[in-house]
Order: sequence, then C-alpha cells, then structure tokens
Amino acid sequence: MDLTAPVLTGYGIWAPVAWLAAFVAATIVVYILWKTGESSYKKGTEQGRPYLSGNAEPEKGAVHIRASNLYWGFLQALKGYYDAIVPMHTGVLTDYMVWFVAVTAVLLVIIGVLS
Amino acid sequence: MKLTKSFNRSLWVFHLNTGSCNGCEIEIVATITPRYDPERFGMKLVGSPKHADVLLVTGPVTKKMAQKVRRVYEQVPDPKLVMCIGTCGQSGGVFYDSYNLDGPIDQILPVDVYVPGCPPRPEAIIFGVVKALEKLERLEAAQ
Ligand code: SF4
Repeated sequence: MDLTAPVLTGYGIWAPVAWLAAFVAATIVVYILWKTGESSYKKGTEQGRPYLSGNAEPEKGAVHIRASNLYWGFLQALKGYYDAIVPMHTGVLTDYMVWFVAVTAVLLVIIGVLS
Repeated sequence: MKLTKSFNRSLWVFHLNTGSCNGCEIEIVATITPRYDPERFGMKLVGSPKHADVLLVTGPVTKKMAQKVRRVYEQVPDPKLVMCIGTCGQSGGVFYDSYNLDGPIDQILPVDVYVPGCPPRPEAIIFGVVKALEKLERLEAAQ
C-alpha cells in the first residue's frame, strides 16, 4: 500500500503530500511572524504577567470562577435550604456514614410502621 | 539598550496616574483631540503598558501607588522612556512634602523627559514628546 497516494473517499480526498506541503507552508509563515516579534521581552518577569493596573497577580485559585458561581441565582433563591444543608456537607466520610445509618434507621422504622 | 525599528515610526504611550489631581489628565486628553492630533505622527495612547514605548506619568506618587508604579514600569518592554507630566511629578507640586508621598517620580523611576506646568498645555506635552524622540535619536546614534 502506497502511504503517500491520495485516497478518494465518498466524501472527498485525502492527499498526505498536499497536506504535508500545506503544513510546512503554515509553519514557515508562523515562524516568520514569530521572528518579527519583540525579542527583548523578558520571560519570568513582570513583562510576562497580565496587566492588572499595577496590582499584584493573585493566585490562580483566587481568580478561578467556580462552578457554584454559575448557580448563584439558584443558590440565592433557595438560600434557606442551602444555609442548613451546606454546613452538614463536611467532606468527612464518617460523618456521611452516620447520616446514612441514621436515615436508613428512620426509613426502616417508617416502613415497619406502615407495613 | 537595543532600539527596535518600531521606535522610528511611532511612539505608543501608556498613561499612568500616580495620585494626580486630574488636571494633567485633562490636558493629556486635550492633547490627543483632533485639534492637535498627534496620532498623525503615530503617537497614541494605548491601554496596556505591554504595548507601550513611553510611560507617561502624572501625579506626585502616593505611598499606595509607589509599588504599582514600579510594577507597571517593569511591564513596559525595553527599550522604554519615562515622561513626567506636571509639576507634581517633578517636585510634589502643591502636595510637596506631604506625609503620604513616596515621590516625586524620580525617587521611584528613572525619568527621561520632564514637562513642567500645573498643568502643562498640550503644546508643552507635544514638545516633550519631541524631546523624547530627540533623546531616542541620540541613543540610536550612540549605538
Ligand atoms: S501638576 Fe497640577 S494639574 Fe498636574 S496633577 Fe499636579 S496639581 Fe494637578
């Protein structure tokens, strides 16, 4: 099988040599553009940091938009519910196990009473 | 200092207020109006120090601003010029000897061109830019 031969599909043509030529041409153009850039730019200094009106750049985590920010309106509308539920969300596994056992026990009692 | 060819064609200016009363700013804005139109010579105000050749500083440099001024100066690519507009930046002006100043500006940055006045007229500011260009030409000749 000739790997450089064009392949005709039902939808178009795949020509590795033409693609390679286009890639090389694009690389040359990009390299020329890059070479015309300012070479005295100093990496790792203030010149490489974003302009924040002279203020120090905060840690990436501090400027990160969290997923919860997207639900701001939702959280605000159900504030009463979340105020109660969020403190319970400790992230500690044993706390969750206690909740699991407690809720299961309550459910079993309810099911026992109803049946 | 290596001068790039772009200096010959145009000077892009970033304006930094270090605690000015706004008088100098009004004159800078007047300078860039169509009446004087320095853009026809390639001079224009830019929105980021990273795009600038010249740092145009106004005001006496308050304590809160000193560190920010240094940081913005560092963000201007080399080679760069600093122009001080107004009496405040030269001596403190009407804020001279105030307890909350770290300036005048030459205490913080190396200044290339001073434009005196409180505030200076647009003609004086343009004259200052011409002086800045002359300094660049001298630097180029010395290379
Ligand atoms: S020099 Fe005069 S006009 Fe300019 S900032 Fe100072 S007080 Fe204001």
